[in-house]
Amino acid sequence: MNCKKIQRLLPVMVGSEIPESKISAVKAHLEKCPECRHEYESYILSLEKTKEWLKKDRKDWEDREWQQIIQKAVRDKEPEVSALAPWPFKKAWAYALMAVFAIALALLVIWPSFNNEEIMPGTRMLAESQTELFRSFEDKSKQEIISMTMVSKETGLKIVWFFNKNFELEDKK
Amino acid sequence: MKNDGELVEEVLRGVHSSFEILLRPYRQGLLNMVYRMTGNLEEAKEVCQDAVIKIYRYLNKFKKGRSFKNWIYKITVNSTYDFLRKKKKYEDIVEGQKNLVNGASPDPEKQLLNKEIRAKVEACLQILSPKEKAVFLLRDEEGFSIEEASKVLGCSSMSVRTHLSRARQKIRTRFEKIYPIRTRKV
Repeated sequence: MNCKKIQRLLPVMVGSEIPESKISAVKAHLEKCPECRHEYESYILSLEKTKEWLKKDRKDWEDREWQQIIQKAVRDKEPEVSALAPWPFKKAWAYALMAVFAIALALLVIWPSFNNEEIMPGTRMLAESQTELFRSFEDKSKQEIISMTMVSKETGLKIVWFFNKNFELEDKK
Repeated sequence: MKNDGELVEEVLRGVHSSFEILLRPYRQGLLNMVYRMTGNLEEAKEVCQDAVIKIYRYLNKFKKGRSFKNWIYKITVNSTYDFLRKKKKYEDIVEGQKNLVNGASPDPEKQLLNKEIRAKVEACLQILSPKEKAVFLLRDEEGFSIEEASKVLGCSSMSVRTHLSRARQKIRTRFEKIYPIRTRKV
């Protein structure tokens, strides 16, 4: 390793956070290179001194103050208790499950509209015929005739089909 | 002597007195961590108070078997970041610390305490970014391992090493400016 690489490792060498595989190489280099050794000693000195100052400048709570904070925390809120059992797996699984449910729900909502697609190009079922049809479900026994109206978007031509209770075509207007 | 997990369970069962016993070993560490980050003792106490309330409130979310120490430090560090962000405090602190190091009038509380040491500490820490400061303080003041610090800060071990390395480089550079003779090349 050259000096540049060694000097990059020195800040972590002083705190022993360097990978073990590199320690011997760095130590060997420091023994033969006075410039890097000086850098290393400089790191040690600055870190030791800073730690010493931090230790001397350490603060603490006054007991009364600390007790007040604890009392405030305990008095203000009870620890939250969830009504649901804790999710035993990773959060990602919960999100995946929610996504599957959302897709299933969306399909349930969208699917019927696919079935109600236009029967022929330029033609659409009118709501009135459907309403008539659905209304008939309430009293099927009395239903004799079912009508279905189709209107062309382009020409405005209206065709009405009449069916009997066996869904056989009775009339067409 | 009960461990943290047992004390957490006691608090959740309604034994409020156990909450103080649970936090007692960490009270000084938390305060100092926030104090170094904010640069103001009163603000640090306010942030700590919020953090303690959050710790109590969300105690049921603490996962058994994990490190309670890491968990409370994570809450506290996040509360500090929130505080600094909300008040856009960081720039003001840097400015204030520059004034202090340059000899501008410190507040009366600072005069009472060891002014010289505080100025040295602040001179070293002021040049660090909030992340570098958090990494440096967790590792070199609170004695966290790299892995613990990465869990507290929610980043990778590699990121912690990089920030720590940068922080130490900056501190060394600042230290050489303060003490040019002692560290001068021979």
